[in-house]
Amino acid sequence: MATTTITKTGTLVGKRLKRKEDPRLITGTATYTDDIQLPGMNYASILRSPYAAAKIRGIDISKALEHPGVVAVYTGADVKDVGPVPCGASLPGLRVPHHHILAQDRTYFVGHPVAVVVAADRYIARDALDLVEVDWDPLPAVADPEKAIEAGAPAVHPEWPDNIAFNFHQENGEVDKVFAEAEVVVKQRIISQRLIPCPMETRGVVADYRGGDKTLTIYSSSQIPHLMRNLVAQMLGIADNHLRVVAPEVGGGFGSKLNVYAEEALMGFIAMKTGKPVKWIETRRENFLTTIHGRGHVDYFELAAKKDGTILAMKLKLIQDLGSYHQLLTPAIPTLSVLMMPGIYNFKHIRADIVGVFTNCVPTDAYRGAGRPEATHGIERMVDVLAAELNMDPAEIRLKNFVPNDAFPYATATGLTYDSGNYAAPLHKALEIVDYKSLRAEQKKARAEGRLMGVGISTYGEICAMGPSPATPAGGWESASVRIEPSGKVTVMTGIKPQGQGEETTFSQIVADELGVEMDDVTVLHGDTMVVQYGIGTFGSRATAIGGTALYFALQELKKKVKKFGAMILESDDVSFSGGQCICNRTGRTADLSQIAGASYRAMKLPPDTDPGLVATNFWEPPNFTFPFGAHICVTEVDRDTGAVEIKRYVAVDDCGRIINPMIVEGQVQGGVVQGLGQALYEHGIYDESGQLVTGEFMDYAIPKATMVPWIETDHTVTPSPVNPLGVKGVGEAGTIGASPSIVNSVVDALSPLGVRHLDMPLTPESLWKILEGARA
Amino acid sequence: MIPQNFDYATPESLEEAFRLLSDPNAKVLAGGQSLIPMMRLRLAAPETLVDLRGVPGLGGIRLEGRTLRVGAMVTHYELESSPLVRKSCPLLAEAAANIGDVQVRNCGTIGGSLAHADPAADYPASLHALEASVRIASPSGERTVSIADFLVDTFTTALEPGELVVEVSVPVEAEGAGVSYQKCVQPASGFAIVGVAARIVKKDGEIAFARIGVTGLSGNAFRATGVEKLLEGTRGDASDIGRAVAGIGDGVDANNDIHASAAYRQHLARVYAARAIVAAVSRAK
Amino acid sequence: MKIAGSHTLPFAPERAYNLLQDPQILAACMPGCEQLVKIAEDTYQMKMKMVLAAISGQFDGKVRIADPNPHTSFRLIVEGTGKIGFMKGDGRLTLAPKDTGTEVAYEGDVQVGGTMAAVGQRLIDTTSKMMIKRFFDKLCEKAGSA
Repeated sequence: MATTTITKTGTLVGKRLKRKEDPRLITGTATYTDDIQLPGMNYASILRSPYAAAKIRGIDISKALEHPGVVAVYTGADVKDVGPVPCGASLPGLRVPHHHILAQDRTYFVGHPVAVVVAADRYIARDALDLVEVDWDPLPAVADPEKAIEAGAPAVHPEWPDNIAFNFHQENGEVDKVFAEAEVVVKQRIISQRLIPCPMETRGVVADYRGGDKTLTIYSSSQIPHLMRNLVAQMLGIADNHLRVVAPEVGGGFGSKLNVYAEEALMGFIAMKTGKPVKWIETRRENFLTTIHGRGHVDYFELAAKKDGTILAMKLKLIQDLGSYHQLLTPAIPTLSVLMMPGIYNFKHIRADIVGVFTNCVPTDAYRGAGRPEATHGIERMVDVLAAELNMDPAEIRLKNFVPNDAFPYATATGLTYDSGNYAAPLHKALEIVDYKSLRAEQKKARAEGRLMGVGISTYGEICAMGPSPATPAGGWESASVRIEPSGKVTVMTGIKPQGQGEETTFSQIVADELGVEMDDVTVLHGDTMVVQYGIGTFGSRATAIGGTALYFALQELKKKVKKFGAMILESDDVSFSGGQCICNRTGRTADLSQIAGASYRAMKLPPDTDPGLVATNFWEPPNFTFPFGAHICVTEVDRDTGAVEIKRYVAVDDCGRIINPMIVEGQVQGGVVQGLGQALYEHGIYDESGQLVTGEFMDYAIPKATMVPWIETDHTVTPSPVNPLGVKGVGEAGTIGASPSIVNSVVDALSPLGVRHLDMPLTPESLWKILEGARA
Repeated sequence: MIPQNFDYATPESLEEAFRLLSDPNAKVLAGGQSLIPMMRLRLAAPETLVDLRGVPGLGGIRLEGRTLRVGAMVTHYELESSPLVRKSCPLLAEAAANIGDVQVRNCGTIGGSLAHADPAADYPASLHALEASVRIASPSGERTVSIADFLVDTFTTALEPGELVVEVSVPVEAEGAGVSYQKCVQPASGFAIVGVAARIVKKDGEIAFARIGVTGLSGNAFRATGVEKLLEGTRGDASDIGRAVAGIGDGVDANNDIHASAAYRQHLARVYAARAIVAAVSRAK
Repeated sequence: MKIAGSHTLPFAPERAYNLLQDPQILAACMPGCEQLVKIAEDTYQMKMKMVLAAISGQFDGKVRIADPNPHTSFRLIVEGTGKIGFMKGDGRLTLAPKDTGTEVAYEGDVQVGGTMAAVGQRLIDTTSKMMIKRFFDKLCEKAGSA
């Protein structure tokens, strides 16, 4: 694929270039987990609990075992010695239930795995599942986190009858004093509902054990193959260097594949027991029921301010629906909300209390934005609530409270250091794009005509590039290795694991610029622990800011070596490297990269103190997070007759630092906005009182389709990050974080003539119609 | 998709289809847009699927006098895009264009949809407004029933075991008639929360003829004759329409689910009926 | 999920009440009921085959009559489990004279779990109501001929 033929150094970063990944994705030639076929492979099908809480009195597998084609059936008793599904987060006093890979004598949520059938093909495995007989004793369950902490609620885990997994407190400044003396205090309960990540590709695992080599290979649709290797090796009691994890093409993760699930260890266990490869591909129904959900907050916010709109202090009580178990990062997600609760506003007094609550639901964990959308939705709603209380313009109140440009690096009330920012810039730009003054005039006119038009602003800040290692559960650095092959072509091995973010392209742009090669001459390898040095993975908008930086430093190291070989070939002590060749600054003679690479591997002669070959590796530890920001403006109109919301205009101005490929950044912003729009208008993972997931298929769970999405206008301001030499910040989650508050603020604004101050998501037509009906009555 | 094991048959004649369908565990495949998802979940597990695509005489759209005859295996996309249907029965084309998404419209058929009798399907509103008739065949012969008699209840039709829908007939639209189908879409599934079809013929500035069909509101689609009567003889202005639709859901046991409460559905039926009638009146000459 | 509704039966409350508690009548009128065996006072074991549109499934379950208040009200609990999931209906039936007949009003909860719950929430309400309607229609038919 000839993307470009530009080879001059330093010209590709910043260009709109089509993605190298796309031809294989759109022609159906990419290799996903389900495309992997191994000789003699069996298939697994998993029996799951239909009850949210039940005792297992007994399991009879005899009929299933007799079914022709069935190889094995395993239940909880068989796997009780396999290590628990890991929780990587640690908090003081955290209660961690032992999370067996198959239920032992009790199930805790609908979808809880109970038994697994292994058979010659996936149809037989599924057929035999119906022959496994479980003697169930259904128990009372609780699905609502606020009900779960009421006295007398059913205990999710009998050993902890209060259903509280942890309490977390963070405080800065003189909160009580400031609130007591404040001229204005506003309060609001704000819900960030349960969401279901819905990647296009569901999860899937193939496990292959080679007894002779004592080596297990696990193919899994994962964002974190290296971490998975370490953790699954522990679960199975094998050495980490006897386990190879391969994450093939990954069809979207959104955080739901930033995890280690029971099935990875279960398939490994089966492959080792049976000596045959085994495949399990998650059905969509299983994906809804058993892959982590996102959000699940009930937040009680209080804001103290002066009459002029100056924000002084904030209180937050956060009730987090954890579900029944801790998956990899479950308890840590709400702590990210606390970190970002001040948003991009300049105040120092905060108090936050988290109650982490067990419910008989599938665990919540990281979902696009992971903790920051909840925080941003909260603070951005609260700023609008305050503006309404003081009868101020929402743009004006924001401009008044932004952290000023001369305050960076800025120490926040929650202990972070914001790297760089110019918070007014994107807001001014967005206001200009929508012509804010005319828009308000138009709104006045619309209201006079009885139309419900709204303008909503959100000015978000987020924490990206996760993160400095001391702040993360498993290391926050990233690795890159660059190898110039004997031909002069370049191979990059990166520890990140893209699932649609396009780093094969952006990393090629960086390499092409630094080494003066063509984009097509660069191959970016990732996702295979046997091929790539240890790395961390892709999540938390970290891949380019940290992985790209590791690549950048590896390239600098490599360029030094290239120059040494160039100097040797050119017999000069004054060479420069540019445009893919070494140039003798005195004679003008040149040696190109293939010549240099050839000489380095042939090694007939070596430069002084230099080893053969052209390989450089870097493990980069970031000194800080990065903090992107932006301003989104959404114009809506609410249908008076039906309550339906129409998005008339959507403008997103983001500042993600320096941009490597604007087309990819726009794609990330647009996709992100659509996911935020899904939360604002459509999506809600609803469990009924008995713990049944009633939105358990696409028949009932609405995600935005192409026809439901408005045109999203994107623009940027650029405030480089000082944290890394590329100046990049990260953009994977920005759109989602900025979108939900701008949409909700817009609809609240539309309904404000009716006295509406707040609305909870999703803004379904019926919920708005009820308000309109109430106003008519 | 991992359904239960099944046989797949592609009969090449109606006789062969009847023979295959005499097995009580056989099921017709007529597009499969409702059946296949049920098989995926193993809620449906027919032993044989009898795909009617190869049966001659079940496809095609033809005009016979003032009647438009639509074969049971005609897809939603064919109806939506057929110049003949768009000209002679625009309401049917509009209804078809509102079904699900492109993939569903490319596969799903009118006969399959009718025989399934989903209470939120799009066609029944228009077919009630059109007073359509359904031709049914069995090994022992043929019969034709009105749409009102065909759709008995939720997922229940007048089809007896062994019978197949072979054709749907609708009248060619009167010169100058205005029609419209207005639907409140459930964002997850694409089914109608409520859908209302209207046909209006005006004479000397007055509504001379009105036909209104409603789907999604209750367990079975219906023709809103009360609304029709109140419209006929009026000029069809906003207050006439408002008065006419006010009672559209009277005596109707409205559906109630997580996507819309019964009260909201009743309200939407009035709103969408008014919208359909306003559009039809404005299109009527 | 909550369901509520009412049906009018063409006989007096006393007869209606007795019919509604007659296991033979119940067995004959409950849609798909293949077997109803008394296992305790007011409790019956049931085998049932549900056929609805393309869906079909076998259920084993129980029917229990509780809190009887002769000729005016009682509670009916129907539970079934099968390969495609489980269902539970728990409702109160109230009988009141209406003209020469009886109006039977019901109000209760229907709970559906397992794969069956994935079929679409919109169908649970409509199909429950349809099944109840079929039950009462059949009851009128049976009682009429009895």
